[in-house]
Amino acid sequence: MMTMKSLEKKLQKADRKQAALYLFCNFVSLLLITAYSAMMFSPTVLKVLPEGGDSRKQMTAIFVLALFGCVVFTIYASSLFFRKKARQLGTLMALGASGKRLLPGLLREVLLLSSVSSFAGILAGFPFVWLLWNGFRLAITDSAQMELQIDLKCLYLSALLFVIVVMFSCLMAYRYLKRTNIMEVMHEEHRNEPVKEWGTWCGPVGILLVFVGAVLGYVAPFIYMALFSAYSPVWINLFYLPVFPGLYMIMLHTVVHGWGARRKQPYKNLIARSMMKFQGKQTVNNLLVSTVLIMGSAFAIFYIPMLAVGNLMEVKDRAYDYFYHYRADQTVPGKEEISDLAGKYDLGIADFKSAPYLMLAMDGTTEVEDGGGKFHYEHIDFLQEAKFFSEASFEMLTGEEITVEPGQYFAIANTEETALYYLNAGCSKLTNMATFQNIPVSFAGYAHYDMLVDSMGYYVVSNEDYERIGQELTPEWMGTCAFFNVDGEDSYDFAQDFFYTLVDSFGPECEMPIYYDRVKKYDEELKGEVYWGDTDRMTQISYSRPDDSDFRLYWTYMPKSRALDRGDFVNSFSVYLMMFLFIAIICSLAAMIISYTRCMTIALNNRYVFEDLKRLGASPDFLIKEIKGQAGPVFRIPAIVGMCAMYLLYAMLMIMNDGKLTGGEVGGLIACFLILGGLAFVYYLVYRRTLRGMCTQLEVV
Amino acid sequence: MLYVKNLHKSYQSGSKSYSVLKGIDLSVAKQEFVAVMGPSGSGKSTLLNCISCYIPFEEGTITLGGKELKGLDKNALAKVRNEKLGFVFQDFMLLDGLTVRENILVPRIIQGKVEREAEKLADQLMALFGINHIAGKYPADISGGERQRTAVARSLINQPLLILADEPTGNLDSKSSRAVIESFESARNKLGASIFMVTHDSFAASFCDRVILLKDGVVYDTLEAGVGHREEKRSAFQDRLLDAIRKMSSLDAESEKDTAGGM
Repeated sequence: MMTMKSLEKKLQKADRKQAALYLFCNFVSLLLITAYSAMMFSPTVLKVLPEGGDSRKQMTAIFVLALFGCVVFTIYASSLFFRKKARQLGTLMALGASGKRLLPGLLREVLLLSSVSSFAGILAGFPFVWLLWNGFRLAITDSAQMELQIDLKCLYLSALLFVIVVMFSCLMAYRYLKRTNIMEVMHEEHRNEPVKEWGTWCGPVGILLVFVGAVLGYVAPFIYMALFSAYSPVWINLFYLPVFPGLYMIMLHTVVHGWGARRKQPYKNLIARSMMKFQGKQTVNNLLVSTVLIMGSAFAIFYIPMLAVGNLMEVKDRAYDYFYHYRADQTVPGKEEISDLAGKYDLGIADFKSAPYLMLAMDGTTEVEDGGGKFHYEHIDFLQEAKFFSEASFEMLTGEEITVEPGQYFAIANTEETALYYLNAGCSKLTNMATFQNIPVSFAGYAHYDMLVDSMGYYVVSNEDYERIGQELTPEWMGTCAFFNVDGEDSYDFAQDFFYTLVDSFGPECEMPIYYDRVKKYDEELKGEVYWGDTDRMTQISYSRPDDSDFRLYWTYMPKSRALDRGDFVNSFSVYLMMFLFIAIICSLAAMIISYTRCMTIALNNRYVFEDLKRLGASPDFLIKEIKGQAGPVFRIPAIVGMCAMYLLYAMLMIMNDGKLTGGEVGGLIACFLILGGLAFVYYLVYRRTLRGMCTQLEVV
Repeated sequence: MLYVKNLHKSYQSGSKSYSVLKGIDLSVAKQEFVAVMGPSGSGKSTLLNCISCYIPFEEGTITLGGKELKGLDKNALAKVRNEKLGFVFQDFMLLDGLTVRENILVPRIIQGKVEREAEKLADQLMALFGINHIAGKYPADISGGERQRTAVARSLINQPLLILADEPTGNLDSKSSRAVIESFESARNKLGASIFMVTHDSFAASFCDRVILLKDGVVYDTLEAGVGHREEKRSAFQDRLLDAIRKMSSLDAESEKDTAGGM
């Protein structure tokens, strides 16, 4: 005997196909978010990405975008499911089933479907991230630091999305049955979603808003800091908000008006356009989400070429094959030992040059935090530690002529002067940290030598001042720089051996990252404070793991070697590269799935239109053109807008960083452009596959 | 049985209100087969939706089996739809996942009273409408006429006071249309059912005892079927219906002409 429960069960069984899309969307969303958050909270990644650093902020920002996209996607999927379910619910209500009678069954079904699919997505997220990550390790690069560790904290975010999906589905079920008008429920399946039309102005205004939002968002923190003498709060990012209505208006213009010269040919693509318009509401939402995800994907993928090209160009342009420096209290290999080592690899050493430097304290004015994000500028006597050459040493080392008057100093910058923010151009006094004697100085300008650039900074003083300030300076405040070339074809094996030998020769007192500033430590301890470098907040490096990214990037005495830096580039930046590649894949995948799903839904909803067109004698070619008219914008517009917007934004950021584009940045942007071409091609392949799917669905050969 | 008095219904579109029903009075007696005809926009479907308790109305009363429908809450209206009314829709509205027999039993399942007696009644209805051979088939596997006869059987399973049919032949060919209308006749003659049908089809309407012509939200005319041999009576009634409809349309055309001439 059939009961309401068994009737509902039977109907649910028959509706499996309808539910499949809903299950798939929930599953994919939860899978992507779980995979992303597993990676984001992975100790492997967190260890490499400095807290508060730009990379971590970028990763979080893209995650927020991906989460937003997935939430919209699941909401869309559940609305589709309910549209399909509406006929069944409407029939039962028309036959006298009250909403109260139908609600428990519907809630049971929705709860089961949404929770099972979401839970399966969460479970599948872990093997997915593991497979992807280890696929990278197999195919691209591998190192001990790349072993993926997963922190179950990542489940918080998955659980949050799980709750959103399940709650929203139940809420939607409730809302459907609460509708008083049965007619509306019954006709829901055939209901159009016409988008509210705006004038043709909305496209150009949208582009303007995107531009204004990008510029405002970028400059707002600087203006805030200048106006209020405080670090900009998080809400300052709201200035980026105009980008979103701008994107929405661009999408709306695309759906409603299109970008072609329509006035001249008002009947061109009329059917495709009108179909698009009547499904406009969801289409615009989907286009927007896809665009945002593609922007996220492009942003992540740009990281790799920008880093790689700049780095490889810098390595290629070096004047010497090798550069290393060490403190005077360390016993490190000299010219002879290095020659012996090179001999093992049938190599010789040429052009060996070395020169001493002093490590002195510089004074200067800097921002001092007052708490609550506020700061003020203060002159500090012991502001920072820096390395100083004498005029003669600098000329001998670099071959560059320089004239430094006594009482002056030059800061050594790279030729393009892109990293000036590390250099102190406001110093008035240099202090010997052994005797605390000081000499007055003034900034005379920049000297240039690309190989003598690091975040501690190299400077040049006159020979007289060098002698004067260096008197009685102890060995731990003195050092030596050395350059040499390899006679013949350089060998990676020699470079690696040299690097390991050098690391082994340093004592534990030098096991510190370059940000560890002994002058700052002195200053803070003088004030009775604990130097932050002695806390856990400072990146830790270890001689026992010389191949780690952290070690290669941050060790104070990290040598430069063309062969090693080229050969180990991928390895040194492996975690960064993998993480951003991973983000790009996840965001692209999500955008492609959303576009595919939207196209298949458009095909499903417009099936009757295509049937009518067939009856009116439309040829398969005509029908395929109309299908392309639907699928084309869904794929094309987010790809074009997302990629172009992010490309321009990135170029703008590069220019605004230092007011110009360096050679490395230009090279990086060219590489980004080529990568976008590749991504567009993949997107095109998915578009072709979608077209085939739509043609099959609409039975158009 | 069914009494509709001074029924008013209007729709709101933006700030404008459009009056669709402007004071309808009608009644359907027990075992009576009544059709409502009229041009598009005359208010036929709105009238049916008001009687079906699908949409609320502003003014007037609808009384079914002595019970006033206005003021009932949603659950009470659902109960009325389930127990006192039977429905036949233009697009059948059968549930695809259920067999013909199960579809017929749906109103009983909703009621929670699927006993042996209900199953027996379902079998009888299928036999009466000539669909017992497809009892185990699904809607996708049967013809349009069979689907509509299944819907007619479903509308009778709770032995309602009144069957409401919305363009029941709208999606059918003439042969299937006849079979469906004959099943309404059988329901009335053999089961004592009352039927209230909205239709555009003068052939289907010609089987009725009475046809109400609706125009611009008011009852324009009511025509009663004559007496005599069944087919002759039906044919003559169809002719009269067509005449009345023509007259109603020509009046429209004349008034349009007058308006144009006066301009």
